[in-house]
Amino acid sequence: MTKPRTFALMLIAPLGLLYASLFVGRFPVSPAQVAHILYAQVFPSAVDWPRSVQTIVLEIRLPRAVLAMLVGAGLSISGAAYQGMFRNPLVSTDILGVTAAAGFGAAVALLLSRDPAQLQLIAFAFGLAGVGMTYALARVYRTTPALMLVLSGVVVAAFFSALLSGAKYIADPESKLPAITYWLLGSLNAASLRSLAVALPPILAGSVGLLLVRWKLNILAMGDEEARSLGVRTEWLKGIVIACTTVITAAAVSVCGIVGWVGLVIPHVGRMLVGPDHRDLLPATLSIGATYLLFIDDIARSISSTEIPLGILTAVVGAPFFAYLLRRTRGTWY
Amino acid sequence: MRGRRKIVCGAWLGLACCIAPLLSAQPGGHAPATRNVTDAAGRVVTLPAIVNRVADPWHANNAMVLMLGGADKLVATTMQAQRQPWLRRLYPRIETVPAAFNAAGEINLETLIGARPDVILMAYDGSLPKWLDTIAAYHIPVVLMPNTSLAGLESAARITGEVLGPSESHLAAEYIRYFDGNIRRVRRVTDRLSLSERPRVLHTSSAGILTVDGRSTLIDDWINVAGGVNAADTSGNGRPVSMEQIVAWNPDVIIVGTAPNQRSREGILNDPRWSGIKAVQTRSVYVNPSGAYLWDRHSAEVALQVLWAAKLLHPRRFSDLDLNRETKLFYSRFFRYTLTDAELSSIMNATAP
Repeated sequence: MTKPRTFALMLIAPLGLLYASLFVGRFPVSPAQVAHILYAQVFPSAVDWPRSVQTIVLEIRLPRAVLAMLVGAGLSISGAAYQGMFRNPLVSTDILGVTAAAGFGAAVALLLSRDPAQLQLIAFAFGLAGVGMTYALARVYRTTPALMLVLSGVVVAAFFSALLSGAKYIADPESKLPAITYWLLGSLNAASLRSLAVALPPILAGSVGLLLVRWKLNILAMGDEEARSLGVRTEWLKGIVIACTTVITAAAVSVCGIVGWVGLVIPHVGRMLVGPDHRDLLPATLSIGATYLLFIDDIARSISSTEIPLGILTAVVGAPFFAYLLRRTRGTWY
Repeated sequence: MRGRRKIVCGAWLGLACCIAPLLSAQPGGHAPATRNVTDAAGRVVTLPAIVNRVADPWHANNAMVLMLGGADKLVATTMQAQRQPWLRRLYPRIETVPAAFNAAGEINLETLIGARPDVILMAYDGSLPKWLDTIAAYHIPVVLMPNTSLAGLESAARITGEVLGPSESHLAAEYIRYFDGNIRRVRRVTDRLSLSERPRVLHTSSAGILTVDGRSTLIDDWINVAGGVNAADTSGNGRPVSMEQIVAWNPDVIIVGTAPNQRSREGILNDPRWSGIKAVQTRSVYVNPSGAYLWDRHSAEVALQVLWAAKLLHPRRFSDLDLNRETKLFYSRFFRYTLTDAELSSIMNATAP
């Protein structure tokens, strides 16, 4: 089991960073002001700050920071669950085509100039439909062998990637094309209380679902045959894992575009810290992923007056860190 | 070597002789077969003396060609130009001109070569178009025109006219006089404004995400001429910025560029995240007009944009300026099209006719 110190750190780090995120940014707000504004929300008291400061903290930074944590946590736990289920450390959340399908859905919404709320719903629906196609394609004799799943995922992802290129091809270069391109690189810039309300239920439900079955993932990670002989209904379990992961990833893509790297690498960071047992690993990835993406997003919105796409930063900042961990642990963690 | 050049010259002369009587514009035999044009990149480009077939991969410039009276010479255009609702209204043939260039500016080589253009007109922002080397093998001259400032737009009009021919060149000169006149008219008032009298203007450029137009752009130029200051202190067109950066800039006026302007405007006015911004509190959020091309970008209508923006930012100082009248005059004078009141309001609200 996890050491208490590690456990405490994993609880404190994301919350501490969340507070810091509320006073870090392009607009100067002091930590005391943030504390005061937060306090005033619970216990009404005299307002002695400009309205714009309150808008910044409560309407802009808070939803964005919480969304960053949700997406980071969701993508990481999904990645960890998939890597266990497929018994492959190179698997990421987009393996079954959810990212490509949701990305295409978002591009369609941008082409049709839908507002952000509709964009999220369309992207989410496309993501679910994409994985639905993969699952149907992979089903043979009422089972879904890993190889069939992966290959079907490749087919579906390729199909939606091609459609996405088609959408970019016909997009208006003065407005739509930059919007699609930029959106695909991932950004939490559009975060608002409304987008938080869209993303929170699926990510929360999916994560809880994965946490509930996490001990069975240990058995599934031994292989389908072994798991069946131990009395685990593998198809049922796989279905649950795929459903949870898909709901999480589709929700994540629908609110902030395609954020790579997190779902692939954070599970490994988790294994380095708490070991490969999924009972510890899954909760750990939630915390690490939340902290990581929040940290990255703070950089994305603060470092310059123009916003830096997340897709660029997650790898640029993450790769050296991962390389360092890799060298230090010498691959003994898997 | 010398002999070969003679043959080439002879061929051109022969060609000119064949064409000249048809056009009855050039005295046979004595007209030079080619002429040179210096473009924005400083390249000296050799063109046929008479240009009859033009390919225009620069979306905005298609409207310029139309304005200068050379639209019937267009043999290749872009998908984007074909989709401009007002360009289609003013010049329906644009839909049947082959689109050799897609929205991202990539060429379809076979369509382009098949269109047999005498010349290709292209925008130049400091870097050469990536298809220039591909084209080189086919010996089609490419004339580059500046696209990053108001002065650049003027020289784009001049070069476009020069390439198209004498009558277009004449119209270009007339347009440039009008353009200069408008800028002088606005500047007479706005040059005297102190910094505190200049509202801080944010120009958004893209629907769906937050992108704004920063410094060193044509948009920055017309904001300054019209007596404002660009609130966005970044550099370049369509820069993505964070929501709180916009709150930090706290613009006095927001101008919504590119479609669907009206919906984007309402989105801004109703979003709580924008509510702390001065422009939203005073409801100074406006839709940028759009005609043959987007007024705020590299269109011929930038001549009107400076008037529109000046009146928008300083209504009392420009109370004598009747924008509706100016707009109608402009389209009838330069596009030979009489706008109805409904059409005028479609342009001012950036909707399709």
